[in-house]
Amino acid sequence: MESIQYAVFLLGAVFCAYRAIVAKRILSATIYLACISALVSGTLYLLGAAQVAVMELSVGAGLVTILLVYALSVVGDDAMDPASVIPKPLAFGVVGLAAVLLGWMAFPAVRTTAAVGEFDLASSLWQDRVLDVWIQIVLIFSGVMGVLGLLSEKVPGAKEEVEQ
Amino acid sequence: MAGIIVALVIVLPWAGALAVWLARNKHARLQHALAVLFSVLTAIVSLVLFLFADTEPAIRIPLGKAFGDLTFVPDGLAVLLTAIAAVIGSLAVIFSVDYMHGDAQLGRYYFLVLFFIGAMTGLVLSGNLLFTFFFWEITALCSYGLISFYNDDPKAVAGGIKALIITQVGGVGLLAGTLIAFANLGSFQIADLLAKASALPAMALAWIAFSFLVAAAAKSAQFPFHTWLPDAMEAPTPVSALIHAATMVNAGIYLLARFYPAFEAVPGWRMSVLLVGLVSALIAAVSALIATDLKRALAYSTVSQLGYMVYAIGAEGVFASQFHLLSHAVFKALLFLAAGAVIHSVGTRDMRRMGALGRQMPFVRNVFIVGALALAGIPILNGFWSKELILEIGLEHSPLWAYALMLTGAGLTAFYTLRMVWLVFFGEEREPLHAHAAGLAMKVSLGILAAGTFITWLFFGGLNGLLASTLPIHELERETLLEVLTAILSAPATWFALLIVALGCGLFWLLGRKSALAQGGWLDPFVETSFGFESLNRWIVQVTYQVAERFSVTQTGELNWNILGIVSALLVVLVVLWLGA
Amino acid sequence: MIFTPLNIILFGVVGLLGVGLYGLLITRNLIKVVMVLQILIKAVILALVLAGKLSGHLGLGQSTAATVIVADTIVAVVGLALAVQVRRRFGTLDVPRISTLRG
Repeated sequence: MESIQYAVFLLGAVFCAYRAIVAKRILSATIYLACISALVSGTLYLLGAAQVAVMELSVGAGLVTILLVYALSVVGDDAMDPASVIPKPLAFGVVGLAAVLLGWMAFPAVRTTAAVGEFDLASSLWQDRVLDVWIQIVLIFSGVMGVLGLLSEKVPGAKEEVEQ
Repeated sequence: MAGIIVALVIVLPWAGALAVWLARNKHARLQHALAVLFSVLTAIVSLVLFLFADTEPAIRIPLGKAFGDLTFVPDGLAVLLTAIAAVIGSLAVIFSVDYMHGDAQLGRYYFLVLFFIGAMTGLVLSGNLLFTFFFWEITALCSYGLISFYNDDPKAVAGGIKALIITQVGGVGLLAGTLIAFANLGSFQIADLLAKASALPAMALAWIAFSFLVAAAAKSAQFPFHTWLPDAMEAPTPVSALIHAATMVNAGIYLLARFYPAFEAVPGWRMSVLLVGLVSALIAAVSALIATDLKRALAYSTVSQLGYMVYAIGAEGVFASQFHLLSHAVFKALLFLAAGAVIHSVGTRDMRRMGALGRQMPFVRNVFIVGALALAGIPILNGFWSKELILEIGLEHSPLWAYALMLTGAGLTAFYTLRMVWLVFFGEEREPLHAHAAGLAMKVSLGILAAGTFITWLFFGGLNGLLASTLPIHELERETLLEVLTAILSAPATWFALLIVALGCGLFWLLGRKSALAQGGWLDPFVETSFGFESLNRWIVQVTYQVAERFSVTQTGELNWNILGIVSALLVVLVVLWLGA
Repeated sequence: MIFTPLNIILFGVVGLLGVGLYGLLITRNLIKVVMVLQILIKAVILALVLAGKLSGHLGLGQSTAATVIVADTIVAVVGLALAVQVRRRFGTLDVPRISTLRG
């Protein structure tokens, strides 16, 4: 029963991912992306990783979707879909082969679950990997700078050209 | 309190770097003022830090089990090197106010200089090997940026790249040693490595010891990596003073001194250190005999003096090496800055074109002579005491032939030092070079350094006590200033060494004056190729370039193709794993 | 059958990775590149939590996954900012054309 739940969620996620890639309009791809996020988040919840599931749902399905929609509203949804540089069969072949091999080789590893020293997220994050927290803070700062770049109306380089 | 001081001494120069950068190049005077302000503040704070010297970490920032704690330990060794970096660095910055006057891109210059000073203080204060490596790499980056500061000059760029690549060899050595230590100890703490060194497997300890020796040799421009320092001469002269006296090359000596107690028992390690120092000291001294570029001659003398320090560590004289490092930092900064004043004034570095400049710039002549006498080891200047200390220890703890060769080196030092002074300031005028007197900022920093050359040896007792009490593992011998002075003055070896120095001076006076300008004759080819090791260094640089160029083909700049490359590589790895397993 | 829930998750991870890589290979639109990166990151998050579950350190897996989420959100933000500025400056989002432009 549990397997079926997982199967439905993940098949849905992979299907959405495929649709997102082949979608002509970026806006619809954005919506598919939000769906993937929600489905992955559900899977995480079923796995017992509730906190990360919540983060994934709010950030992945919420924040990133909003950012994408905003960016699209700024640059316009061109429905641009030029032919890909790499022949599609080649791309498909290489990726498919890699994926099959990866799945084939990782399969035996995924059998038993060990149950040793269970940390919860909070203690793991704040005691074991404090450097991660610092790096996250730095990252968030650079993210803020990124948002400023997103919102700034003038192109920084263009201004200097005018002066010259 | 100690924590705040330690934090300040690292953060202040970096904050200054940021401030200078934010001031923009349009406001040159503001940039000068900010750079001087922050560097002088750092220097003051670094001197205050002497009061807080301690064996225990002053700052401990937990980073979780995976990385260990980030600690900063203000022990005697760290405090001494911090003070050298900050004080000499600040004097170089003050000097730069005149030297770099009117230069475009001051922001980049001061940013790199201040960033450099902060990285050096961080490097010596860090108690965590991983962060020592981090700061180590920042100093390499800054030295590259500063050596190639005049980036429209191909020679400057080549010199910078060479310094970067060769010191990276050292960086790799440091990283390898760090990782081996971590694999065996499960900790990045320097204190842990020092305490548990004897419990490590002998093989692992030997690997760490020799990796660190490679790191130190590359960083301190020691044999066989000694060729990058003379090539780094294209930098603005205050930067040379910074690299030679305050930062960069001291890091290698620091590394050896720091880990000496852990590695001394490794078979062959001490002898290797001794030999590296000996060979560097001698071949650099010989090279300095015939160099015609003023800064190049000084650079060779740096390699040679660093060789003395390395030799001292190999001969169990950790404190002597650090004491000579202090003396050397002061007089070499003085020499470089005085040389900078000359070069800035006459616009050439070629000693063959100089001559009789002493009449036009008496102040610079006087301070240069002070520095030169210290370098030659003339009493009572600081270079005399520290060099005698090293020779004394060499006589006790190293083979007699090594001691004899080092003595010869002292004679050579006296010879080439006098030659430099003679060629630049005395003799007849060879070209009508117009020299103008040094500016006020230049005079201030030169004056302070000249005074320092007279007095730093007086700190022997205090420094010795400080290092001995805060470095329990090093088991340093405690001696007061008076004891050491009497020991040095009463030892026959001292008088013998002085005789050799006098012999060097006398030989120059009798023979060298006329032939000072002559070519080195049979020596030339050796010096030009750095006794054959130029080819090794050039090979390292070339291989790096070639590998980089080969790989640049793979950088198509097209996203899709790059991704295809990544996925194909993944496929290859998977296939290999599949077949292998 | 051997299809335990964890095996299914493994296939999900591999499927998402495969589709994402395929997308990166054929996409030329800069904004879409950012989106495809998001898909890949979803696979990675899932894989990290799965590895945590397998090794018994679910908390550790979760904490690294949390760091990845933060990092990847920042990547999306910066990538989109870049895309917007590129579009303003060059008037196109076509990656091959942008990489041949100089400016």
